[in-house]
Amino acid sequence: MFKNFISLEWKQFRRASYFQKGLAIKILMAFVVLYFGGMALLFGGGVFFIAKKAIPEVDPIETINKFLIFWFLFDLLFRYFMQQLPVMNVKPLMVIPIKRSTVIHYLLGKTSISFFNILPLFIFIPFSIVLLFHGYAVLNVLGWFVSVVAITLCLNFTNFLVNKNNAVFYSILTILVAFVGLEYYNIFKVSEPIGNAFNFLYNNPYIALLPIAILVLLYKTTFNFIKKGFYLDDAVSKKVKQVNATDLSWMNRFGSVAPFIKNDVKLIWRNARPKQVMMMSFMFLFYGLFFFTQETYKEIPALLAFASMFITGGFLISFGQLVPSWDSEYYKMLMSQNIPYQQYLESKWYLMVFAVIISFILATPYIYFGWDIYAMIAAGAIFNVGLNSFITLFGGALNRVPIELNVKAKAFSNTNGFNPVQLLISLPKIFLPMILFYIPYKLIGFNAGLITIALSGVLGIVFRKYIFNFIVNVYKKGKYKTIAAFSEKN
Amino acid sequence: MITTSNLTKTYNEVTVLNIENLEIPKGQSFGLVGNNGAGKTTYFSLLLDLIEPTTGAIKSNGVLVNESEDWKPFTSAFIDESFLIGYLTAEEYFYFIGELRGQNKEDVDALLAQFEDFFHDEILNKKKYLRDLSKGNQKKAGIVAALIGNPEVIILDEPFANLDPTTQIRLKGIIKDLAQTKGVTVLVSSHDLMHVTDVCERIVVLEKGEIVKDLATNPETLKELEAHFSGVAEV
Repeated sequence: MFKNFISLEWKQFRRASYFQKGLAIKILMAFVVLYFGGMALLFGGGVFFIAKKAIPEVDPIETINKFLIFWFLFDLLFRYFMQQLPVMNVKPLMVIPIKRSTVIHYLLGKTSISFFNILPLFIFIPFSIVLLFHGYAVLNVLGWFVSVVAITLCLNFTNFLVNKNNAVFYSILTILVAFVGLEYYNIFKVSEPIGNAFNFLYNNPYIALLPIAILVLLYKTTFNFIKKGFYLDDAVSKKVKQVNATDLSWMNRFGSVAPFIKNDVKLIWRNARPKQVMMMSFMFLFYGLFFFTQETYKEIPALLAFASMFITGGFLISFGQLVPSWDSEYYKMLMSQNIPYQQYLESKWYLMVFAVIISFILATPYIYFGWDIYAMIAAGAIFNVGLNSFITLFGGALNRVPIELNVKAKAFSNTNGFNPVQLLISLPKIFLPMILFYIPYKLIGFNAGLITIALSGVLGIVFRKYIFNFIVNVYKKGKYKTIAAFSEKN
Repeated sequence: MITTSNLTKTYNEVTVLNIENLEIPKGQSFGLVGNNGAGKTTYFSLLLDLIEPTTGAIKSNGVLVNESEDWKPFTSAFIDESFLIGYLTAEEYFYFIGELRGQNKEDVDALLAQFEDFFHDEILNKKKYLRDLSKGNQKKAGIVAALIGNPEVIILDEPFANLDPTTQIRLKGIIKDLAQTKGVTVLVSSHDLMHVTDVCERIVVLEKGEIVKDLATNPETLKELEAHFSGVAEV
């Protein structure tokens, strides 16, 4: 039976539309996979030496053990965001004489070989090998490795159980933030007791049976959980929630753009995918921390200009690059209505501007790194509003990928981001602020660089009518192509 | 009103539609029938300029649909669920369409009030998103949305499919009323010969993209159509 399932999945995979895309994308995808795999391998192999160098007086395995708790919490969060539960196309199977338990075992087995469980292997296998080469006892390393893998799989099934539950997600997030905070300010180091527990586990390999036992238990729980829900009523047919229609009529003050803005706000609020994009764009706010905390980057202010642009540009970039794909589900209807493209685009632009302003306000704490940095973030925000927004919208117009609004994006299973056009368009987003800053900075000085970035944004705002016109023409030219691409179901 | 001349649509060298000449006068209720793949939806998509004609053109009210957009204010359509915005409630959707077609909330409410019967209390005030409605109810919402803003041309692809019998009968009443008393040109496609002969003054049969019959409806039409399609089945 499993063989049949696998052949079905293989067909689904091979015949999916994204697989039939050009060779260039396949090669690019292969590179991305190789890159992440390679990075993980390098990290796994190198982390022993990093730990040894950072804290020479402590055994590296103990240092690693201390940080495992953060790894696992992060893993769980990441899964919640990205891991798509493998809801197999189960409807046609329900009427066929296959044992229910067979299908469920298969489903659960399939989740175990997801990207999220394989990536840790790429890290922990080389790490264990390095340990063995350094003369750590085979049995202990093996016990430790098995435990880590078992815990990873436990997280896998935990995610299965709690995935629909936002409360769980926010509690995990709170716990993670609290732990990191307490750790950072030396109030309570959660890493110590957990680290000790893992040390104990390392020294007593038979304890590895404990995580395995938990894994078995979780597997059984998940199995029963699914088995209970394996009826058309609740498993396959969607849950229908009561809707609280929000009154957005106050938005009518936006004039002719109002109908679109009202719609776009609902689009973001009521669909899984745009919500995911919104949450992810908060992460961009922290981008500056990578750069501003490192002395080395202070020497290369052009890179800081890039980072500053990113801080306020998270939503702008991730949402904007998928305009008009957000409306792909009903694009035919829009095209048969009397839609003024300009207002349609302006609405999206206002949303992006609004997001930049919010991000800029949230970025206030960056003043801590000095007014220079803050001025740079401000300049980046103006650049985003006036220029980056238009580059992104232009790129979106060429990016004809249909989106399923109410389905979360899967990690590495859609090629949405890996469109060659998209890649080309993203180059100016990255390099333009750097160049705009660097040339006047070299010729005149730091402030001249900032002013140039900001000025480019102001120019964009001043000439936005022309720019909108230009993008509208791209829309008009690509109309049939866009409709055809959007009606192609994934 | 709607003039089609030398219209062809070819995909990968396969011609799926080839209409040399077709005139649909204003206020006619026009039915399009044909088996799967006969080209009904292709024709409607060309009428709405959703696909590009390979040759020829359609002129609606004097406007070449693939060159100007001036046909949009007086044309409306419901082709399939992709005309609905799934994350809106039915009311929100109606008001949105209304805003696009220059109708305020009161206008839309007044129109919706006429269709209370048709909705059968399953559409309005349900606190459900359109994506969560059943196929039939989605269709009801889509059809009524196509009537917002006093369009002069209404295009409905398979409007009877998925509807319950009561709603089918009510829909027939609505379509007849539109064409006969309001002078609206209604284009309907259907697989249901009985419904289409009930409701349309004229019926065109498409077969592999070509017009094979063009009938003014009379009491014998249904028989003639049935004979034609059973003949097709025997071949």
